Amino acid sequence: MENIVPMELMAAGEVGHVVQVDGSPEVVHRLAEMGLREQVRVMMVQPGRPCIVAVGDHRLSLRMDDEAEIFVALTVIP
Amino acid sequence: MPLTVAIIGNPNTGKSTLFNALTGLQARVGNFPGVTVEKKIGRIKGTAEPIDLVDLPGTYSLSPRSLDEMVSVNVLLGRQTDIGKVDAVVCILDASNLERNFYLACQVLDLGLPTVIVLNMFDVATSRGAKIDIPALSKKLGVQVVATSAHRKEGLEALKAAIAAAVPNGPGPRPHPFPEVFYAECHQLASKLAELGRSDAPSFLVERALLDVGGYLETEWLAGSDIAERWKAALVESRARLKEAGCRVPAVEAKARYAWAKQTLSDVATAPAVRAATFSDRVDRVLTHRFAGLLIFAVLMVVVFQAIFSWAKPLMDLCGAGQSAVSNVVASLIPPGTLRSLLTDGVVAGVGGVLVFLPQIGMLFFFIALLEDCGYLARAAFLMDKVMSKFGLNGKSFVPLMTSHACAIPGIMATRVIEDRNARLATILVAPLMSCSARLPVYTLFISLFVSDEPLLGLRGARQGLTLFAMYALGIVAAALVAAVLRKTIFHGETPPFVMELPAYKWPSPWIVVSRVWDRMMAFVTRAGTLIFAAAIVVWAGSFFPGDHSQEFEKQRFVEQTQATQADPLKHRAMLEESLGKLNERMAAHPPTTESERAEWQQKLSITEGGLADLNVELKPLDDARVEVNLLRASLVEQSFLGRLGHLIEPIVKPLGWDWKIGVGTLLSFPARELVVTNLGIIYGLGQDVDESNQQLWSAIREAKWPDGRPVYGVPVALSIMVFFSLCAQCAATLMTIRRETNSWRWPLVTFSYMTLLAYFAALVTYQVASRL
Repeated sequence: MENIVPMELMAAGEVGHVVQVDGSPEVVHRLAEMGLREQVRVMMVQPGRPCIVAVGDHRLSLRMDDEAEIFVALTVIP
Repeated sequence: MPLTVAIIGNPNTGKSTLFNALTGLQARVGNFPGVTVEKKIGRIKGTAEPIDLVDLPGTYSLSPRSLDEMVSVNVLLGRQTDIGKVDAVVCILDASNLERNFYLACQVLDLGLPTVIVLNMFDVATSRGAKIDIPALSKKLGVQVVATSAHRKEGLEALKAAIAAAVPNGPGPRPHPFPEVFYAECHQLASKLAELGRSDAPSFLVERALLDVGGYLETEWLAGSDIAERWKAALVESRARLKEAGCRVPAVEAKARYAWAKQTLSDVATAPAVRAATFSDRVDRVLTHRFAGLLIFAVLMVVVFQAIFSWAKPLMDLCGAGQSAVSNVVASLIPPGTLRSLLTDGVVAGVGGVLVFLPQIGMLFFFIALLEDCGYLARAAFLMDKVMSKFGLNGKSFVPLMTSHACAIPGIMATRVIEDRNARLATILVAPLMSCSARLPVYTLFISLFVSDEPLLGLRGARQGLTLFAMYALGIVAAALVAAVLRKTIFHGETPPFVMELPAYKWPSPWIVVSRVWDRMMAFVTRAGTLIFAAAIVVWAGSFFPGDHSQEFEKQRFVEQTQATQADPLKHRAMLEESLGKLNERMAAHPPTTESERAEWQQKLSITEGGLADLNVELKPLDDARVEVNLLRASLVEQSFLGRLGHLIEPIVKPLGWDWKIGVGTLLSFPARELVVTNLGIIYGLGQDVDESNQQLWSAIREAKWPDGRPVYGVPVALSIMVFFSLCAQCAATLMTIRRETNSWRWPLVTFSYMTLLAYFAALVTYQVASRL
């Protein structure tokens, strides 16, 4: 069973992959251009508003608006 | 004709380093007409045929969302007339992150231009375990692929050879990443466009128009023409049909291009392993920490500001000294008259007024370039985003606003880092509200005159310090409120999500820092300089004409001749005045204790004073003539166009507690706020050489009376003047910079109008409230 959470609920150090990016088409398009898209592996570096996430090898600072939301399937570390 | 080659790439891929390494520091920098995008062109060194390299702004994609972003597309498509046809394009990628960088590469290849793909920072990628089969990748893409490590100058010769070979080789195949139904739809749209009379649009533009929902090509491109509505409708219909066919726009672009990237890179490149926590992450644990990070940031800002003020001060003084030296040389060569006045009060003062900002601008951009190039600036923006987002700005607005406390000109120039157009304009419009260093003379003058230095809570000068602090706070609060209002009115619309890459920390490159500082300084001198210069001439003319200056010039000639013939008595008097001052000082420090000592002092004093009195009699005609010149100037200013305007506006400034003299002084300080001090000196007939600590000016202000005998000045008037100058837009240089940065007269006009209104009403409220307390 995958544990899917909104990105803002990820704790520091948690890892997962993006399953869905919601928001206006422009925002989703722009995030994809910067590499934040479905199936990409992400790690929460510093939670908050704005937060810092590691997308692959990049570090993005991110503050979403009310309509935009990124859902992440957490990788369970045994 | 040299070949024209454009260079494009994601931010933080080392594009500037590569550009500098290829061209040396010989780039021509300017602006693309009509937009705020910087145009930078350099000739590549050491090639057989001349090749011009056009630097395009760092970007993640070629989707034009604004006019600014459309420039890169226009350049690449050869539609930018000031660049002309582009013969080839160099696309620079970070070799460690090929998959993401291939998104842009895919779009670039779609242009159908001869292309060179550069895998930069190749040394870092291989050391981290990346394996890239360059010949295989090149074969798969059908274009040349070159590995470089620009910071070590490795691979540059191969790159130059590849660029030279790219044009004869011709373009590679287009990636063709989309499903066929998409291309069919583009085809249909193109014929629709031709039907509407626009058969000139390249297929790249049609594809982009279809893909970019709400982008430039949908909303602005044909705006104003009668086919705009039909074009928009056609796009909406096309997208609906594509959606039905299972090809959702714009999601299909990311899906298709990343799939293409994955497919292209499979079995030719292995990405380096993702590192769990990098060196930058460890540094960031401290530097972006909620408390420690903010503390370090605050300390850093204090240090930077201190450095700017203390290091730029001597240079600014030097500029000032140079200006008066040039003025004196001009005055010694040309007799008093209109020409001399034009040269010294108009030209030299105008140019000097511009150059005096240069040390601060250079210093500020030095620190900004340093912090930006090492990667810290992005962290500062991250830290400040929390505060700024509450007022509809974003983290990137912080540095420009901080900078504006020294001078709004570099502050406005620093807003180039803000991509969101609305946030950028809002930042530009509020930046001049920050209390810059030019307000300081005004604050100093009125605070030392009207705010008592009696101790408050045991602290001497605390009242004065608090008043000064209140003036700075007023600017910040006003800026926050105005920004919030602007974002709700003219720049309304969603505050877009804030996304910013935090690049890995690295050592700043001295060449990049030097070239950035140089570019900014030159941009300021050449563009703003010419406009400010013109403004200075206009103001000079306004305060000089009409009026018969012959008497003034005659008196001035007499003063100068007498000064030359009486040089010795003048020198003597200056000496005696100095020694009298020293005597009084010494006496105050060590009061005489015995009767004989007192007598000795008295004798010394009376000798000096007697000598002075004799000299004063001898020099009386000269002193009288000097006073007369100043009085003549004062009355000529009063009769000038601007002086008449001052009388005209007296009813408007009266509710602020001001008389016409303050009104004229303020009006004449339109080119620069600090001029009000000099202007009051001119209007009170004290000459132009007064500053905020001039005792004559202090007593003139204390003694100024309304016609009915009431004193003009008091605490309420002083406060209303300070509040006005804290909020007003009395700075031609700033307005010209806004015009240059926004490429429109509209925004400087908006800035001037709202700030003047704000300043007026705030001063009105201040005076009316304070005078009733």
